[in-house]
Order: sequence, then C-alpha cells, then structure tokens
Amino acid sequence: MPRVAIVGSGLAGFIVYQTLRRVLEPSEIAVFGTDADPAAALRVRAAAIRQREMRSESDGHCLPTAFPGLAFSSVRRRRSLRPLLDSALDRYHPTVEEFLSHVERLRERSGWDDSFIEGRVERVRAADGGFDLERGRFRHVLLAPGHPGLNVPGELREDPRAVHSYEPHDYAPTVTIVGAGLAAATEWLNALAAGAEVVSVRRREPLRSPLNVPRQYFSRRGLAGFHRLPARERVERLRTLSAPSYPAGDRWDEPLERARAEGRFRVEASLNGSAQVICATGFLSGYRHDPLLARLCAEHELETAEDWLVLDPDSTVPGLTDPSRTLSLAGAPAQWAFPAADTLAGARYAAHGFLRRIEQCRTR
Amino acid sequence: MSYTLRGRAETRLAALLPVLLAACVLAAVLHRWWPVELVALMAAVGLALDLEVWHRLLPYQPAWASVPLGALELGVLMTIVYAFGLHAPLWPAIALFGAGWLASVVLAQAGFPFLRLGYAEDGGELGRVGGLAAVAIVLALAGSAATYVVRLPPVVHLSTGTHLGPLVITKREVLQGEPGAVVRGGIVVAHDDVEIKNVTVVGGANGITVDGVRGTVLDGVTVQGARLDGIHVRNAGVIVRDCTVDMLGNRLGQGIDISFNIGEGMSMVEGCTIVGGMVGITTHSSMAEIVDNRVSRTTGQAISVAEMSMGSAMDNQIRDALGVGLNCDDQSMCMFEHNTVVDTRPDRASGDPTRRGIGVLASFYSEADLWENRLAGNPVPTGAVTSSMLRTTPRTDW
Repeated sequence: MPRVAIVGSGLAGFIVYQTLRRVLEPSEIAVFGTDADPAAALRVRAAAIRQREMRSESDGHCLPTAFPGLAFSSVRRRRSLRPLLDSALDRYHPTVEEFLSHVERLRERSGWDDSFIEGRVERVRAADGGFDLERGRFRHVLLAPGHPGLNVPGELREDPRAVHSYEPHDYAPTVTIVGAGLAAATEWLNALAAGAEVVSVRRREPLRSPLNVPRQYFSRRGLAGFHRLPARERVERLRTLSAPSYPAGDRWDEPLERARAEGRFRVEASLNGSAQVICATGFLSGYRHDPLLARLCAEHELETAEDWLVLDPDSTVPGLTDPSRTLSLAGAPAQWAFPAADTLAGARYAAHGFLRRIEQCRTR
Repeated sequence: MSYTLRGRAETRLAALLPVLLAACVLAAVLHRWWPVELVALMAAVGLALDLEVWHRLLPYQPAWASVPLGALELGVLMTIVYAFGLHAPLWPAIALFGAGWLASVVLAQAGFPFLRLGYAEDGGELGRVGGLAAVAIVLALAGSAATYVVRLPPVVHLSTGTHLGPLVITKREVLQGEPGAVVRGGIVVAHDDVEIKNVTVVGGANGITVDGVRGTVLDGVTVQGARLDGIHVRNAGVIVRDCTVDMLGNRLGQGIDISFNIGEGMSMVEGCTIVGGMVGITTHSSMAEIVDNRVSRTTGQAISVAEMSMGSAMDNQIRDALGVGLNCDDQSMCMFEHNTVVDTRPDRASGDPTRRGIGVLASFYSEADLWENRLAGNPVPTGAVTSSMLRTTPRTDW
C-alpha cells in the first residue's frame, strides 16, 4: 500500500504528483479523485468562457521546477525564439491548447494513471503515524480538493435567465455580466463578439494587473512579510488580494471602447431587463463550503481565521503535521500559506513543501 | 523574479563562480592579474548595487531588465577601472564582463530554476549551494590575493652614493634607489618584470638598456652622459614614467629609443624631460604612447614615430629642435594631439628641404592625424612629403 496520498485529481493534485515523482515511484503514491483527467475541470471552464490563452506565464506549467517553462518548449514547437522574447518581457501566455497538450504529455509519461484511484474521499482522520482515509492509512496526505463550487449570487440562484460563466452557454441579444475579474472581462468580449448588447454589473471597478496577485507574493520576498502578519491582518490582506482583476492592454480596452462608443457596452449598478445574466463571479470560497475540509476542521478542532484554514508557511496543517506524518493543502484552500494558492505556481509551492516534509521523514 | 536580498547575493556569487575560475585560468596563462582583479571588482560592484540599489528599486525584476542593469553595471565597472588605473585592456575586459553577464543570465533564468526545486519561490536563494558559492568566491579571491602578494618581486634598495656599473639585473625585482643613489656605467635589464625607481645613471654605453624582456617599468630615473642612447629599448615592452634624460653634448645618441617591440604590446613614455641628443624620443616598428613629456634642444627631431610604428604623442612640449619638431616617418601611423611645438630651427647645413624647421612632418607613406596642436615659431608649421598625409584640424585662435 502506498504511504503517500493525494486527495484530489485536479491540476493542483497533478502538480503535486509530478513533484513527488522526483523521489517516489507511481506505486508509492495514491491519487484519489473523481476524474482521471487532471485538466477535466479546466477543459469545461475554458470552453465555457471561450478562453484561448492562459493568464499564467511561462512558468504556469505542471513540472516540479520553474524551468523549462512552456515558452521554452514553445520555441521548439514553433521553431521561433519569439516565445522566449515574449517571456523575457512578461508577455508570453501559453494557449489553452498548448497547456492541455502539456498536461496530457506529463500524464502519459509520469505514471499518473497507475496511481489514480477513482473515488471521492469524504473524510480524513488523524491516526497513529498517519491519516485514515476510507481506503487505508497513509503517512503523508495532501488535500487538493479544488474549488468547492461555482459562486452564484443569492438573488440570482432562482433566476431562469442566469447562467454561470463556467457553465456552457451561448449569448442572448442583451446580456448582463456580473463580476469584474478575468472571467467577466472575457465574457464582455465574447458577448460583444457574438453581437450582443452588454451591461456590466459590478460592485467595484476592476483592478488591472497581469497576474491575480502581485508578483512579489510568488516568492519569499513578499511571502516572508505575509507570513509574519497577525491573523486579522492576514485575513484583510487576503481579502484585498482577492479583489477581481484582469490584465491591462489594448486587447481588452480597444473592443470595449469601440462598443461603448456604439452604445453596446455600459456599466450599471444593478440588474436590468437583459435577456441573459452571466455570473462571472468565480467560485465559492472558504473551507466551510468544502465538506471534506469542514469535517476535518470540526473533528480535529483545527485553527481557522474567518474563511481560511490556518496553515504553516509550507502549506502544512499545524497540529496534524509532525516529523512522522504530514497533512498538507494545495490549491485554493491553501491561501493562508500562499496567497496565489489557486494558481499553478501556488500548487507547485505547496508541492515543494510537501516533498520537503516527506524527505525529512525517516520512515517515509 | 522577485529576489530576496539574500537571493540576489547568492545568485550573483554563484553565477560569478565559473567566471572567476575562468579569470584565474586566464590570469595564469597571460601572467597578468587584471582578469582576477576585474572579476573581484565585478563581484564588489554587483553586490554593492544589489544591496543599495537594485533590491530597493526592484521588488520584481523581469528577465528583460538584465540588459539595462548589465549595461549600467558595465559602465560603473569601467569607470572604476579607469579611475583607479587598473591595467585591464578595454575589449578583453568588456569580453570578460560580457561572459560573466551572459553566464549570470543563463544561470538565473534557466540553470538555477532547473536545478533547484524552489528557486523561484525562494527568491533566488540557493540554500547551502549559495553559502558554498560565497565561500568559494572568497577563497578564490583570497587565494589570488595571497598569490599576488607572494609573487610580488623583492625590493632591492640601492643605497645613497655611487655604485660602479654596469649593473646587470638578472632576476625579477624592484630596484629602489635611495635619495642620491647613482650607478656609474649603466644598467642592463635582463629579466622580465623589473622595476627601477628613483635611480640616477651616469655614463655607460647606453644609460639603461632593456632588451628582450617584458614588464619593465622605469619610474623616476635620471640618465646623464650616456655615450649612445639614454634609454635603449629593443624587443621589449616598457613603461617609462617621470624620467630625466640629459643628452647634452651627445650629437648622435637618442634620449629614449624604443624599437622593434610591435609584438610586445603598447609601451609608454610619460612625464619625462629630455634635453639634447639627436632625437629626443624615437620609436621604430613599435607601438607607443608618448604623453606629457618635455623635449628640447635636440640635434634632430624632438619626437619621431618611425619605421612602421603606430603611436600617439599627446600633450608634449617640444622646443628648439633642429630640422623637425614632431615627426611621423616611414609608413607609420601617428596621432598627434595637444602638443606644443615651438621654435624649431631650420637645418640649413643639411641642405635637406624636409629639415627646414618644420613643426610637424609626415614623410614616406605615413599618415598623421593632428588635433589641436599648438605650433608657433616654426619656419614651416606642417608638412607632408613622399606620399604621406596629414589630417589637420587647426585652431584659428593660436
């Protein structure tokens, strides 16, 4: 029986798996999930919002080390140095297609399918020298349950006109798009391109930034200060960093300006009589929305801070992690350790911390 | 990349390590210290900028920033090299810096992120490797410094008073003359890397002979009464600084004659005073810089760059030469800048029209560039003969 388990077979779990494979064989790792395709959720969501490019840059990939990134492999594929030049200028974004191919290649060569065990894990309980899952006891467990669900504002849940941006949909002649992040911006352009008249409803003006979190929070430079913040301030910081944003640039601005001049795009404070309402409002956030995490917290009385599970800087769960066993989080629920935890780089950060713990454990 | 301060320093030092090793090898091959000095300076400049400037200004450093930052660091480095007189040749120094820059870019963008699992998220910190790199750099530089000190030539003090020559120097040393130290009968330098300081030489066939050796420095020497040349250099690279050569009464000898050193690199004559003799300073088939000297009362040209030489004469004061003041002769390429040539006398006795008191002359397939020279009291200010060319930029206010 493997001693290491990954709960969650999405991209976060996949990245952790690729990292563990540096020292472990597929037979030593169990991956629990409901879909063997780690990019299954991304495929559906990217198709729903007609996303063609990743927001992430060259290092937004699933390999354990930052280099070689996708720009490097793109050079070979495209037979052009342009991707490297773009990457040096922070303007390289892999296409969704390139990224999915990359995931597929890694899946094939890493033995992922050999480690995959279909089945949802409902409960994790600390036990002597490890953790009990439904399928056995594991010394080291990483939870990567993904986003707990799509976030639809309460007043729209029963509205027949409403659809979430990450659900398959077409565009009506008049569309109201709720939200101000990257998904919303993508939907504005999609709906305009489909000939619709678009109303943007948002609580605040969107920030314009290349990534969803300032770059220094991707390294120890920003993280060291973040980790030193008292709980209350850290919660405030996370709320600030969670503000919706999308990248600056003419690619976004020019079509909106043109549509605004034509009277086809406007911002309003509340819903109107549009034929369709698209909720580009992201995901539910907070451990309470995830049954596995909520139960884990309740049963083990884990420390929390509002919506967040309190984690150590290496993304492990304090109190349940010691030299002989590890419980770690990756993906969106790991923001307490890494504000951009729901990115590919964030999953890699958690993976590195998890691997370090395993390597330090003499009886792994 | 968002570097931490420690990450910047560790990345810089680790990336510099292969360059330092290459510089050590280069220094051993060339028998010159400038490669090691330059890399030490690169480390110092880089770390200082990291600590005081880059870390504060750049919370995030995109990859493209390596180019302007590298250019700026090169500028600072070369300014220090020239301000403090480090003897690093320009293009090799730039090439070494370029190699170091390229190595650091490749390592920081690809090598370290590939080799170290958490390089990016650790802000460029390298853990134990970073510490080891720093120690290795310090050890290599300390070792180089120790080697430099150990290899410093011994200083031989020449006591006050007269010493009978000729004095032949057959080993690497610094011959340091005490005040009033005189060698009668000349000095012969017969070994590489000899430095002679503050010694007066009286008499001898040549005052000081330097033949077939490298790295000779003559600093503050005085030469009087030589029968042939004051300072006689053949097949050798020399630096002559702040010398005095008295050739009065010697109609045929040269004050300083540097010949056939084209393969020995650039020689230099700087800050010397030469009186009398046939030619004050002459070069043949050599590369030389002749700077800030005072030459007067010669029986031939005051300064002559001749016989396929490449040389520059700058800021020299030439007075009372016979026939020609400043001469570029015999397929030589010369650059004459900011020299003062006054009162050149016509050599009527020779009957040679090219010696009729010409301030600056180019002759026999030579090319001379003139820039802001002051020519006064010369019967003929400038001249070019036998397929030679003078490119002159005169100043009307002189």
